[in-house]
Amino acid sequence: MLNRRDVLRNISWLAGGAIITPALLHGCNNEPALGWKPAFFSDDEARFVTAYIDTLLPTTDTPGGLDVGVDRFIDKVMAATNADTDELLPMQTGIRDFDEDARTRFGKVFHELEADQRGQLFSDAEKSPRYQPAVWGTAVGEQPPIGFYRSFKSMVLWGYLSSEQIGTEVLVYDPVPGEYDGDMPLSATGGRSWSL
Amino acid sequence: MANYNIDADKALTYDAIVVGSGISGGWAAKELTEKGLKTLVLERGRIVEHVKDYPTMSLDPWDMDLRGGLTAEEQDKHYKSVRSGFVGKDIEHFHANDRENPYTEVKPFLWIRAHQMGGRSLLWGKQTYRWSDIDFEANAKDGHGVDWPIRYRDIESWYTYVEKFAGISGAKLGLKQLPDSHFLPPMEMNVVEKDIRKRIEKDFPGRNMIIGRVAHLTEPLNGRGKCQYRNRCSRGCPYGAYFSSNAVTLPAAAATGNLTIRPFSIVQEVIYDDQKGKATGVRIIDAETNEVIDYKARVIFLNASTLSSTQIMLNSKSGRFENGLGNDSGELGHNLMDHTYRVGAAGTVEGYEDRYYKGRRPNGIYIPRYWNIDEASQSDKFVRGFGFQGGAGRGGSRVAANLPEYGAEFKEKLLQPGPWEFFITGFSESLPQHSNHVKLNPDVTDKWGQPTLSIDAEWGPNELALNKQAKEDAVEMLERAGLQDIVPFDNEHEMGYGIHEMGTARMGRDPKTSVLNGNNQVWGAPNVYVTDGACMTSSSCVNPSLTYMALSARAAEHAVSELNKQNI
Repeated sequence: MLNRRDVLRNISWLAGGAIITPALLHGCNNEPALGWKPAFFSDDEARFVTAYIDTLLPTTDTPGGLDVGVDRFIDKVMAATNADTDELLPMQTGIRDFDEDARTRFGKVFHELEADQRGQLFSDAEKSPRYQPAVWGTAVGEQPPIGFYRSFKSMVLWGYLSSEQIGTEVLVYDPVPGEYDGDMPLSATGGRSWSL
Repeated sequence: MANYNIDADKALTYDAIVVGSGISGGWAAKELTEKGLKTLVLERGRIVEHVKDYPTMSLDPWDMDLRGGLTAEEQDKHYKSVRSGFVGKDIEHFHANDRENPYTEVKPFLWIRAHQMGGRSLLWGKQTYRWSDIDFEANAKDGHGVDWPIRYRDIESWYTYVEKFAGISGAKLGLKQLPDSHFLPPMEMNVVEKDIRKRIEKDFPGRNMIIGRVAHLTEPLNGRGKCQYRNRCSRGCPYGAYFSSNAVTLPAAAATGNLTIRPFSIVQEVIYDDQKGKATGVRIIDAETNEVIDYKARVIFLNASTLSSTQIMLNSKSGRFENGLGNDSGELGHNLMDHTYRVGAAGTVEGYEDRYYKGRRPNGIYIPRYWNIDEASQSDKFVRGFGFQGGAGRGGSRVAANLPEYGAEFKEKLLQPGPWEFFITGFSESLPQHSNHVKLNPDVTDKWGQPTLSIDAEWGPNELALNKQAKEDAVEMLERAGLQDIVPFDNEHEMGYGIHEMGTARMGRDPKTSVLNGNNQVWGAPNVYVTDGACMTSSSCVNPSLTYMALSARAAEHAVSELNKQNI
């Protein structure tokens, strides 16, 4: 289904093809290739998302966020869960603000920064309010507003932990436990969480 | 698997009609068919066959397109029920379409509906508690509402009867405010819950913390398998381990050969014969064809759910009952009740970092009511009481999102269980108040052109006082149990969030002040029985479904006895 956002994007892409300016060319040449076509994000937003996920969950001896496609998953979720609108969603505004902060402090947008610069931005953002406990699907208590950084972090963690590779190969997968044992040593799972 | 007869014969007069196939309708159908009555169950939604029609029962998150998230279109379709916080892709197909089935919230009220065979018996929380005489005598003692026409002794044997067939797991405690059921073995508390239990019971004499009593099999029963601790109950259980109409009562009814279940049958009204002084049948609209059909029967059970049964009665107007069937008292639609929801405290527990658990237990702990159960526990701030549900577990990704970290080390922590957390959340009894009511709204019609309900209800001062106490008590218990980072909460949910709506066609002793008599018969229409939540005269603080089961079985026996005596 082609929604209004796709149409708009296609039109602007056509316009860009028809009137190629040096500035546009210059911009395009400097951008890293995404390697995938977002359905929801602009290419700039997608570059931010990619850089954010890679900073939060890098590849180590276990898969990183990008290895299990969290970037594409979030793009898919955003495209499917939001009614088509021309207005920017809070996530998009958050990305812009975060990039603006990066530019103010380091002269470049987030995905262009060095690792330690990204780290400084993350460490500062970590001072923002945290989630209250949740009871049956809803946060309880006095919940201060959760900013973009942490809500996006939460979404990335969801995309990572709910992926098939993490769920079946990294965490301990037991779809049919068959019994309840209310007291077992954590070492029984090798220190890892159950995936479900 | 049951082989359902879904071809209702228009020409045929049935012995009995049951409107609705949820928890109470399933029981009515089972009892009536087993006693030999040719019974037509009218279900407004589709057929949901046990196992066969549970498409999500074994899906892992990554098997679903959005890992359980709803698309924009699905969110819009369920724009009211998503307020509950737990409607995802795994269970959205068991929730009614809020756009096709509108209702008007004069004051905020969440009405969760499940329009398919089995109704909300597929989705319910399965907490299963007997009411006590403290509940049945409450109205008479403190003067709120009218007196129940029954007492515990009238329903005790029926509790046992339905428990033996439904399968209820739990532990005996001998509390007068929470009578023991006929139990299958209890589920197990985890190591942290056991520790907290000891501390609370030591520091607060008179308070108990028990494992939840639930309609889950912990041993096989009647061909149903025991719980496998997957905690995917609301999607439908492939083992039939929890009680639902689909897994338990309707297959039993079908096995008698006396059951016909007609899907897509929206009951508009009960047809009342002024001369005979009783009902002769019901009028339905076929949800797919819009055809209007009358079905006749000698006895009719209304089990459409609390508000839907009342809606049918309000819409059933005759010369004798101009304001709705059985509404001589003017109480039809009034005295709507629910339980308060999400008020309590949460905290973290230290000292068990090397302990974990196996299995996803579909149950938690329960702290039975301890206020106003005897002279010593009288409060001067409120009448009635509350109980707590809760539980302990190790935190997951939400806790990780709070960790002020990122990168490789953070990722390794993310893959490990978080800290132990524990919470308790109160369910307070609500009082029957005449002002809390529903009425027909001809200005807003549903997809089939029928008038809908306007719901006008709110908590009163007693419920708010109970909640205030519940929150204070929760904090105090968690503090004394040694928890850290305690977060008190009262989400101030409006009515409906408890999804325990009760009342609006209450039982009573006097036709001038109630809609049903002590056998759940409609005053003035003795061959119409209402045995779902609409019949409730007060709300207790414990979950009501078990009482609907017992009342339905009891009323079915009464109905058959009265038919045999030709009294109705």
